[in-house]
Amino acid sequence: MSKFLFGRYLPLDSIVHRLDPRNKLMLSFCYIILVFLANNWLSYVILIAFTLGAIRASTIRLGFFLRGIRPLIWLILFTVALQLLFSPAGGHVYWHWAFINITQFGVINAGYIFIRFLLIIMMSTLLTLSTQPLDIATGLASLMKPLRWVKVPVDTLAMMLSIALRFVPTLMDEAQKIMNAQRARGVDFGEGGLFKQAKSLLPLMVPLFMSAFNRAEDLSIAMEARGYQDSDHRSQYRILTWQRRDTVTWVLFAVGLALILICRRW
Amino acid sequence: MKTMARTQLPKLDTLSMVTMGLLMAVQLVVSRFTISNQFMRLSFTFLVAALLAKWFGPWWGMMTAALVDIVGTLMTGGPYFVGFTISAIVGSLIYALFFYRQPITWWRIIVAQLLVVVLVNIGLNSEWLVIMYHTPLWGILPVRLMKEAVTTPIQIVLLYVVLKSHVIQNLEHRLKTKA
Repeated sequence: MSKFLFGRYLPLDSIVHRLDPRNKLMLSFCYIILVFLANNWLSYVILIAFTLGAIRASTIRLGFFLRGIRPLIWLILFTVALQLLFSPAGGHVYWHWAFINITQFGVINAGYIFIRFLLIIMMSTLLTLSTQPLDIATGLASLMKPLRWVKVPVDTLAMMLSIALRFVPTLMDEAQKIMNAQRARGVDFGEGGLFKQAKSLLPLMVPLFMSAFNRAEDLSIAMEARGYQDSDHRSQYRILTWQRRDTVTWVLFAVGLALILICRRW
Repeated sequence: MKTMARTQLPKLDTLSMVTMGLLMAVQLVVSRFTISNQFMRLSFTFLVAALLAKWFGPWWGMMTAALVDIVGTLMTGGPYFVGFTISAIVGSLIYALFFYRQPITWWRIIVAQLLVVVLVNIGLNSEWLVIMYHTPLWGILPVRLMKEAVTTPIQIVLLYVVLKSHVIQNLEHRLKTKA
């Protein structure tokens, strides 16, 4: 299971991998806005071209992206089907029965939504596959900096986040050990009805809380012993640098945005 | 809202800060363990969110909830959308208003969880799906209502059992006395 959470990062060496994590976070955020802006075939073709280009540049095989789609496949099919069957009348009517209409309008819309799903999932998968969790955390912390102006304790939150990420693998191993220990004493995880399964997870949850708290105590004492006082007034060891390739990605993004705005006629 | 006014983010001691970090890690770990049958899946992250809200109050609860949502989504490769972060924040706020510095009773838990289910799971989250994927609202609403009808009682019982458990109360006591 630990593979699922942390092993998703693929340690390849490509241009996308070497981009500044802050930049990648902002780009994938803005990309979603770009997808929302697209509203006709031509704009979707441009988006697809950009997305495939980014995937190509990351040198990650397409199969990994298809795997990212799998967990959402039911939502996708459900949405596309509903869109197909219940869209408002418009264009040529292909099939009609009671209140169900399959119209030209509906088919086109369903197609758009299918593509929109794929694009959003592929781009966020790309971010995950090409960025280490610790880099994501550092990037986030640095992007949160402006929130200081509204009195958000950014440094403390960044510290918590790096503690959290450091301990996810440790606690994951711990959870597996607890589960095996409880299994050895006869607890059946994942069997029976929902209620029985929920009950069987308590022998996992409560020891996990306990163990997390014990670690927190030990760690806080150790941190204080090493001179930690508070998260403000500290210097930084991990420093991110913005490079020319990061600027280039934004030029490309701007070109994409301009093309899409032209396609949708503003 | 009284609960919020009383907490204006006091300076954290190291133990509280580290505990919050560890609980965030627990939340990320627990989000991988789901229980399911053919029709629905239920994860236990709400338990950790409720615990964070109960121990550290609305402000810290909301901030950690937002962070866990963002990092959790980004690390598992799911599509990120701000709406779901807002959902996490609102959920955590509700838990804090009902649990922070309050005795745990069945009524508090039932009302809090019902509010979370109606406002967040059914209200906001359906809205986000509509905005993000143009899923027709009346198409998903019945499915969601059915799912929540089954899972809500389970969640209420689990909240009660965990928040009332001796281990958790013990830990809270240790946290308070050392801080």
